Amino acid sequence: MKRAALTNKLLVLGIDGMDPRISRKYLAEGKLPNLQKLIDRGAAREDLQLLGAIPTITPPCWTTLATGAYPGTHGITCYWRQSPDSLDAVVYNMDSRNCTAEQIWNITAEAGLKTLVWHWPGSSWPPTSQSENLSVVDGTQPGSVNMGVAQLDWEKVIVATSDIKEVRYAPRVDKPAGVGCIITDLEGTLDDDVDDEMMELWWGDTARQGGEIRTYVMDDEDTEVVIGSKVAYDIVNSPLKDATGWTNAPNGAKEFTILTSGGIMRRPALILKNEAGEYDRVAIYKNKKAEAPIVILERNKMVSGIIDDVTKKEVTKPACRSMKILELDPAGNKVRLWISNALDIANDQLWHPKSLYKQIIENVGVVPPVSLIGGEDDELVREIFEPSWVLYNKWQADCMNYCISKKEYEVVFSHLHNIDCAGHQLWHLAKTLSPWDHTDEKKYQNFIEKFYLQTDDYIGEFLHLLDEGWTVLLVSDHGLIVGENVPPILGEYGGLNTKVMEELGYTVMKKDEKGNSLREVDWEKTRAIQIRSNYIYINLKGRDKYGIVDQKDKYDLEEQIINDLYNYRDDRTGKRVVGICLRNKDAVLIGTHGPECGDIFFSIEEGYNRLHGDSISTSEGYFDTSVSPIFVAAGPGIKSGFTTKRIIRQVDVAPSVSVLLGLRYPGQCEGAPIYQIFSEEI
Amino acid sequence: MALQQLNTNRFEEFIYDNGEPCLVIFSRENCHVCKEVIPMLEQLQLHYEGKFGFYYVDVEADKNLSQRFPLRGVPSILFFNEGILQGKLAGNVEDGEIEEKIAEVLE
Repeated sequence: MKRAALTNKLLVLGIDGMDPRISRKYLAEGKLPNLQKLIDRGAAREDLQLLGAIPTITPPCWTTLATGAYPGTHGITCYWRQSPDSLDAVVYNMDSRNCTAEQIWNITAEAGLKTLVWHWPGSSWPPTSQSENLSVVDGTQPGSVNMGVAQLDWEKVIVATSDIKEVRYAPRVDKPAGVGCIITDLEGTLDDDVDDEMMELWWGDTARQGGEIRTYVMDDEDTEVVIGSKVAYDIVNSPLKDATGWTNAPNGAKEFTILTSGGIMRRPALILKNEAGEYDRVAIYKNKKAEAPIVILERNKMVSGIIDDVTKKEVTKPACRSMKILELDPAGNKVRLWISNALDIANDQLWHPKSLYKQIIENVGVVPPVSLIGGEDDELVREIFEPSWVLYNKWQADCMNYCISKKEYEVVFSHLHNIDCAGHQLWHLAKTLSPWDHTDEKKYQNFIEKFYLQTDDYIGEFLHLLDEGWTVLLVSDHGLIVGENVPPILGEYGGLNTKVMEELGYTVMKKDEKGNSLREVDWEKTRAIQIRSNYIYINLKGRDKYGIVDQKDKYDLEEQIINDLYNYRDDRTGKRVVGICLRNKDAVLIGTHGPECGDIFFSIEEGYNRLHGDSISTSEGYFDTSVSPIFVAAGPGIKSGFTTKRIIRQVDVAPSVSVLLGLRYPGQCEGAPIYQIFSEEI
Repeated sequence: MALQQLNTNRFEEFIYDNGEPCLVIFSRENCHVCKEVIPMLEQLQLHYEGKFGFYYVDVEADKNLSQRFPLRGVPSILFFNEGILQGKLAGNVEDGEIEEKIAEVLE
């Protein structure tokens, strides 16, 4: 029996990391007027919650939203899956071909609805339907469109003063916050080895072709809270002196040097005086003979869409950058400038159809880069990181509105990563814990608020659609926790977690002459390992390359591990840190079963959680945070001003989309439509 | 005639401000191969007076300058024109290879 559609047009507005608990706090303070309008026009639970899939990680949850299936069923249990060759390595997993459940957008497209899947980090790329109604943009990494494939040059801070004697360049400086950007002051801390870009390592071509990624989390220094808040950037120091040898330098201008493209390309720049004789602008040129500058920057304004050539691996291409003046001394003795990473403007490799890329560039604008720097440096967060997302949010909203109003898309599945990106960098700083007690938690609580305010503006860009026949579903994959305590070295999503498992005697590391653990597993003595945020694998004979545990001993060993995990006490607080532990066969109860979920699934207990990933979906944190995802629906087919007591599961969203559009359910769907909020009985 | 040495400021001036077509050999005093390549460049230089510059950077004396470029050890020869890196050669290069590269750059 075919069902009549309740709506003809549907937008899924996905916001990664959006947390209903902290949203309600800001709503109560009147700070999120657009979200309030959406709630007033539509339906949600009182707590705005969605009962999220587990693990509370981006690709599993976005895939659950797209398929209506639990991670154990759809097979996407993390950004990575276990390497088929090594127990201590992972391989890239944001590949739609790894998903063993049908995506809802294939159904909408094949039913004749023009469908856009915009940067959805859960089984969207490559497109898995031949339907010409399906358009897909990126989805290969969570950050921002084209971030994984179009990077040509890294972010940099330029410092020019009259005291600096010669141009100096320091690539990818892991600079402690509070320390200035003068390279001679940093000499002792500079690393001779420049790490491979994390972008390349996790999302680049080698990763996406299945190359092994081996990351060991052995102590606090390897954890994301330490690494995430200290993203490195290039530093350039330059003399600031009277302009000489220019074709077109105004009177009184002073010159300094910018280096790009890893240091090999030079762009000369001028600081310019205004009529009052104060230096108030920066002009950047291709060379001293250029007639006109590439860009003129004014104080307090971030400019994007700056197109300039960038050279990477001996190939030169035009790229898009953003820039902003951080500081400009009116007397002309100092200037500090931020220059964003550079995105190749011709890169359409993750756009299907490619013609969509051309249409967006011509009608909306080139893809703006987002900054990843800031962290413990609150000036950079305030001046650069947060504003760069405001810019990007607007571009994305304009793209989606363009596609809806001019390209006749009827169904849009979209994702924005601003909140989660900030989360990984600085959410933990909203509670002063000893490893970061040099930072001010109030400042970072204010940054959290800023990210919610900008998100509310983003939501506001789409409210007009409610009056144009569109149904809008606001969803997230998971929320974000501000940690109450420093987490144990167990449950980091990025790799192999060794410390607790070593203490318990299951993972044994090779040792140096002094008895210190090396970054190498001693497989001959290792009975089990803990990898990614929730999985424990037995080192099993016959299954694993260096297996030492007999099949007949597996069950008892699992029991022993589970006992030991429950009995394990945190060395800082003396409290239990492990939440739940389930054998794989039992983990089906929470949807984390099957071949991609290890032999034991575990979670970290509330109070010891990281941002997300190691928690169960109902966990809460400091500063009124939670890891629950959000759900609000409004528009045709949805009751207005309605509150439901129905427990809405993340698996229920896809079948609800099916019902709203009058279509069949996805093939492996395990949820049920949220019929209580529909405007008609079904 | 010996190759002219560049430090950071002279490098800025000749390569970027003037945009001179030139090559810059990055070398080190105790480098065995450099001791063979440099005299060859000094000879070649005579044929290109006024047309193409020949310079060197001592990687020990100017560490920071050499760190800016993707050098796989010494000697490395970088070619520039109009302030843009046009190519590079490394190791025990022949004069023929250098001349070919110069011709490419001047095209």
